[in-house]
Amino acid sequence: MSHGPADDAIAGRAPGDRPVLDPALAPPFPIAALPVLRNLQLRKNVAHATDVIQAKRAHLVAEKTDWQQLRTAAAGIRTHALENLGAYLEQFEARCTAAGGVVHWAADAEEARRIILELLREENATEVIKIKTMTSAEIQLNPFLEADGIRASETDLAEIILQLGNDEPSHIVVPALHVNRGQVREIFARTMGLPELTDDPEALTAAARNYLRKKFLSVPTAISGANFLIAETGSVAVVESEGNGRMCLTLPRTLITLAGIEKVLPRFQDLEVMLQMLARSATGERMNPYTSLWTGVRRGDGPQNFHVVLLDNGRSAILARERQRQTLRCIRCAACMNACPVYRQTGGHAYGSVYPGPIGAILTPQLTGMRYAKSLPYASSLCGACYEVCPVKINIPEILIDLRAQVTDQERHEAVRLFDPMYLGMRIANLLFARAWLFHAAQRMARIGLRVFTQRDGWIHSLPGMGAKWAQSRDLRGLPRQTFHEWWARRKEVK
Amino acid sequence: MSASSRQAILDRVRAATSATAGDHAQLASTYSVLPYPYIHAGKLDAAARIALLVARLREYDAEVVECMGGELPAAIAAQLAASGRHSFLAPPGLPAEWLASGFEWKIDRGLSAEEIDQADGVVTAAFCAIADSGTLALHHSPGEGRRVLTLLPDWHLCVVRASQAVETLPEYFARCPSPPPALVTWISGPSATADIEMTRIKGVHGPRFLHVILVHDEPIHDKEKSPHHSLRLKEAPHFD
Ligand code: SF4
Repeated sequence: MSHGPADDAIAGRAPGDRPVLDPALAPPFPIAALPVLRNLQLRKNVAHATDVIQAKRAHLVAEKTDWQQLRTAAAGIRTHALENLGAYLEQFEARCTAAGGVVHWAADAEEARRIILELLREENATEVIKIKTMTSAEIQLNPFLEADGIRASETDLAEIILQLGNDEPSHIVVPALHVNRGQVREIFARTMGLPELTDDPEALTAAARNYLRKKFLSVPTAISGANFLIAETGSVAVVESEGNGRMCLTLPRTLITLAGIEKVLPRFQDLEVMLQMLARSATGERMNPYTSLWTGVRRGDGPQNFHVVLLDNGRSAILARERQRQTLRCIRCAACMNACPVYRQTGGHAYGSVYPGPIGAILTPQLTGMRYAKSLPYASSLCGACYEVCPVKINIPEILIDLRAQVTDQERHEAVRLFDPMYLGMRIANLLFARAWLFHAAQRMARIGLRVFTQRDGWIHSLPGMGAKWAQSRDLRGLPRQTFHEWWARRKEVK
Repeated sequence: MSASSRQAILDRVRAATSATAGDHAQLASTYSVLPYPYIHAGKLDAAARIALLVARLREYDAEVVECMGGELPAAIAAQLAASGRHSFLAPPGLPAEWLASGFEWKIDRGLSAEEIDQADGVVTAAFCAIADSGTLALHHSPGEGRRVLTLLPDWHLCVVRASQAVETLPEYFARCPSPPPALVTWISGPSATADIEMTRIKGVHGPRFLHVILVHDEPIHDKEKSPHHSLRLKEAPHFD
């Protein structure tokens, strides 16, 4: 296998050119997708990874004879938790506090970053070790900490690959699935000073183990996300594969957990549903290698200072919309993106958000209050594959259509859309369809106007001006010589 | 942190859910009628349950040996010897007869992380084993040790009694004490990653070697079937 410089190899980017995952800055989906569609290596990597997970998932889901019943139960529990979120959040706070934890509330990304920075400053931290958390990526925590002189060291293998390769996650469970072993070798060899490294995944994994062991034993502060918060006990649950999570959860003196407010489950026992589904859906395993659950602080075992930061950042607004509320049931298993025919072609970076794929297409614009990422609800064929695999039965296609309607409603009132060809066309159509005489006149004009473009075979293959792009990939049937109305009128005359 | 953010978030959440949220009593009653139609109790008899557990543990790269209760100390000694390792850790509650002679033992009474890191391996008990997913559940009692004990050493030997094996995950939850345990670690095979091209690689940060000794209680009698009939119903949440 031959390798170019890593930065070139990944996504065909120019060196130092990172994918933009800030919805406020990212280009619209069709534009962001273009470089990826031209990058055959990246598409191959994405296709391979999603094929493997899908096959494993399908096998293990088929093995579960009660899979649909589990989905029903999971959707029921999550819906109930969201409908009563206020009570459960307060219960979580009370129980976690009673067990020695400290609960903080952050209304938005900025407040969450500030809380975390203050906690780290109190610890005089210069470095913090991190377990993979998409929520911290959502609030863009790492660059913020780095700017304040605190090094944020990722410890998940995939996250190390991205951090050392100056790259961004493209999947929420396997964030570096767009990078192949040759590219990983190149990144590790260069950044860890290991020119002899081979591209054998075993050797690459060992390199990461050695690279991190010292950090685990010496860095006294850690940041984690949470898969679930248990209201009944005030406990936090984290699932992982590598053991880096357990390292971060047990070795440091101080642990900070950042969690979205939607992550609450009412009872400990609810995990019997969620954890039968999560690993099967996410990685195609019966169970992930490690699941950790802890409650506040235990003297002599694990961090002696424990903080939870509960993050809203747009979630309560989603909760307020009854149809869209189901978005918050998500347990971030990524099954929907592995199944999505659009994601499988474009990979994650095109979505311009840390949440790609179908869940990203509904979550990202909503989290920004429908200000950004407005092209994402259109990044779907509405085939329904995402709904079918979702363990908590989120009807993603239904929400996509709803969001499209919202985007349209917003846009049609914007001044800049006054002369937008699509909206102009729609307004004219509105006029025409409302008046029979105008409609008939328009039909006659169109018949005359389109005649020159109609080929001998009765089809229109190309159009001039604004129609050219449309006709590039479509053929239009030429208009018939007479309309049904005309034919009917003539038919009566003849009689 | 501002107290006002707490109030603002809770206010927004309450306003958003005002149509659906109930008081604590209503909430408890809606919770208790949630559908939970999935399989709770397993269908296998004791022998088949153990066979499934062993198969599932092995499928994800754990080494499993079985022995009778009386043979356990010898079985532990054999595993330690076969590992080619010498210095081992034990949690403070590990039965004395499990500490095989001829090896160096350190009992964890507050060992430092460095001391734990330097040991060759660790021997612990477990709370439960779940056959369906090949999972060992630790609740970190004195026989199971602190969390760090089964994390830093490269080699972990876990002793599980047949009576501790259940078939399904709901059966495990039915066995959990009330109130639930404060610390829980589930281990399903050795540490692994599939981050590079979805190739499963064993041993990233946790122990690279997971050994299980499955101890058959003698004689096997029907009391083992009891968990299949003692599943508790779903209790509603209770608030203080
Ligand atoms: S929307 Fe459903 S399938 Fe997609 S990540 Fe969330 S839980 Fe998984």
